[in-house]
Amino acid sequence: MKRILIVDDAAFVRVVLRKTLEKIGYEVVGEAEDGESALEKYKELRPDCVTLDIVMPVMDGMEILQELLVIDPQVKVIMISAMGNDHHIKEAMKNGAAHFVVKPVKEELLAEALLKTIGL
Amino acid sequence: MDPMMEMFVFESNQNLEQLEQILIQSEKNGSFSTDEINDIFRIMHTLKGSAAMMVVNEVAALAHAMEDIFFYLRENKPEHVDCSSLVDMILDAADFIKKEIDKLDAGEKADGAAEELIALTKKTLANLKQANEGIGAAADESTSKKKILPGNIEPIAALRGKADVAVIDLDEPVNVFQALIIYQPDCEMENIRAYTVLNNLKNYIAEEHHYPADILEDETSIDVIRKQGFSLCFTTSKDYDEVLELLNQTIFLKDLKLVQLLDVTQWEHWKTEEKAALPADLVEKKDVQKVEASKTIKKAEPKENAHQSMISVNVGKLDILMDLVGELVIAEAMVTQNPDLHGLELENFNKAARQLKKISSELQDGVMAIRMVPLTGTFQKMNRIVRDMSQKLNKTVELHLVGEETEVDKNVIEHISDPLMHVIRNSIDHGIELPEDRQKVGKPAAGNIILEAKNAGSEVVINIVDDGKGFNREKILEKARANHLIHKNEADLTDREIYAFVFAPGFSTNEKVTEFSGRGVGMDVVMKNINAVGGNILANSEPGKGCSITFKIPLTLAIITGMNIRIGRARYTIPIASIRESFKPSPKDIIIDPDGNEMVMVRGKCHPVVRLHELYHIDTAVKEFTEGIMVMVKTEKMILGLFADELLGQQQIVVKPIPSFIKNISKTLGITGCTLLGDGSISLILDSVGIVNRII
Repeated sequence: MKRILIVDDAAFVRVVLRKTLEKIGYEVVGEAEDGESALEKYKELRPDCVTLDIVMPVMDGMEILQELLVIDPQVKVIMISAMGNDHHIKEAMKNGAAHFVVKPVKEELLAEALLKTIGL
Repeated sequence: MDPMMEMFVFESNQNLEQLEQILIQSEKNGSFSTDEINDIFRIMHTLKGSAAMMVVNEVAALAHAMEDIFFYLRENKPEHVDCSSLVDMILDAADFIKKEIDKLDAGEKADGAAEELIALTKKTLANLKQANEGIGAAADESTSKKKILPGNIEPIAALRGKADVAVIDLDEPVNVFQALIIYQPDCEMENIRAYTVLNNLKNYIAEEHHYPADILEDETSIDVIRKQGFSLCFTTSKDYDEVLELLNQTIFLKDLKLVQLLDVTQWEHWKTEEKAALPADLVEKKDVQKVEASKTIKKAEPKENAHQSMISVNVGKLDILMDLVGELVIAEAMVTQNPDLHGLELENFNKAARQLKKISSELQDGVMAIRMVPLTGTFQKMNRIVRDMSQKLNKTVELHLVGEETEVDKNVIEHISDPLMHVIRNSIDHGIELPEDRQKVGKPAAGNIILEAKNAGSEVVINIVDDGKGFNREKILEKARANHLIHKNEADLTDREIYAFVFAPGFSTNEKVTEFSGRGVGMDVVMKNINAVGGNILANSEPGKGCSITFKIPLTLAIITGMNIRIGRARYTIPIASIRESFKPSPKDIIIDPDGNEMVMVRGKCHPVVRLHELYHIDTAVKEFTEGIMVMVKTEKMILGLFADELLGQQQIVVKPIPSFIKNISKTLGITGCTLLGDGSISLILDSVGIVNRII
């Protein structure tokens, strides 16, 4: 099973994402609630893909994305965003995020995003 | 409730509390600091995201509108910001969101409509923009909506010679394509997705046009894309199959129509409306724009818990744990004080028993500590109360918090919040004078309220001190007289006793009933609440100088030290905290007062006597004072002498509540609970305040 790292500062969102991901057939190998921990866990776990929230405290989603790219230029990141974060999403896509999915996260769309990014 | 919903409610409430604190601070300072803007933005964003996940759409939309304002503040750093009215608006929005979340918490539907608030927010943002336009708006991609004429060379020239853009080899055949991309419904942000398509293509294409033209700034473009699809036309050296493959990688693609053209002018949208070149920024040289958001990685100062390892635990589980520990304490007593062991010399056993006791004790302390929560959250809620009330009453009041890190049992926190609010409201309503009046008597225009918490032995002491005009002694006496609350000689009443009348039911010296007070329902409810957690209230005042109200709350709710007594064959327990002394009365100590009540003399003072066997209708042979024991207990109002048969000894007891079925069928005033004694029998716990109320 392909391995995913969830990064989001809201515990609640992490729980929902985990459930969804596990349901559609992916293994959630880790969760991080801030940038520091996200980078650490990425280095430690080397997941196949990272789901990343746009706005986070201290280290913004954008910065985390950039740092991840430094650690691994081939990193596959799917941005999870809420409505209205056009500016951020645009930047993220420009800067190397693979795809983005908008909340509320629909299972089929997340599944397709993952399929297109890392396969099953 | 669905655990997902529970989490959502919990987290959102935390966020809302934090938001409130930040807003009040900003308002005090008269402006938003960069950190505050970032924090508020992030909180709104989180609220929006979570609400969106739970499909609480009105809340999500409102949070979104708020987020937009703070995004604007963050990116554009406008100078003309009316902090105060903005704070008002956000607090209104936060209140709406809190209401909706409370509904969800109660299992109801979040059916509130945020339309008006959202409209107001949008208008506020528009006004904000207008007021600040022309004052160096920060880098904003909106700008150029250039009308590009057909055959425009610009984009190609722009692409040429840019180091990190793939150079189009114009010697190769240039193909022209028209593509129509239809996205899956509900994938959202179709305009950004369209932008992404362009972004992915930029290295392979020279000239490019798309419809709708303005996909980044114009939100209506989303609708257009949803209805008609995203249409693009471009030139490239790639062939049809290669382009098809590229475009098929578009995510959430529902349908793709790719057609090769002879010329860009053949594009279906060629003559219509504006056609834009590649959005300006895709063409820029160094387009790695580091988002400025958190440039300086400052450690966000967490108000409450630092980033230690924390888990959240269901309070129900803690309660079960507490109960078990309580049972353990009793069981330990039942073993070590077992009647079977009476008189036996058991050195090894005693050693082991002491060890057991020590460990149970530490376990007890440990569990208590888990349930201990700092008062910080509760105290900081008061900031909002002070702010709202001072505004409404046109007074200036400053709240000073001291010792907010003091911890109390979780149960206590819930019972303290309302009383605190009441007392503070009272302070501001009645105590603190209007600024002019204060200045007339030489006080600073701003009133001060100090909210202080500290540990004092086995109690938590909370002081609410204001520097207002203090209690009106005469008025209180008058009202007390009118309500028949005075049972002593008026001249004998100490100031403290007079002020204590304020807490009697129905008491209020207010002539008018205002939204905040005057109904006489406040203070006695405060007293009830504090009593409910086993605490006490003291009121003190200095006319003209201010008032101080003190809550004293025992640290441990459920496990207390009690003195066991016997009446007939029944056992009772009196909390040690309320016992002043006990002695075997001699005949000369007892006197009868003019009304025929029995009183006991202690050090020259008279106190009422309560024959417990009469109060609770217990059969006992001990009716003579000299044969029993007099236990002097103190309450706020008076000292009582409780007459019982015999003292049985001190013990750690676990207070269990009286089962409700007993409460319903029998008057239990004067009894606050029951406990199991070391020998397995049941003892009822006496509450002196309750007894006082029974005999008056």
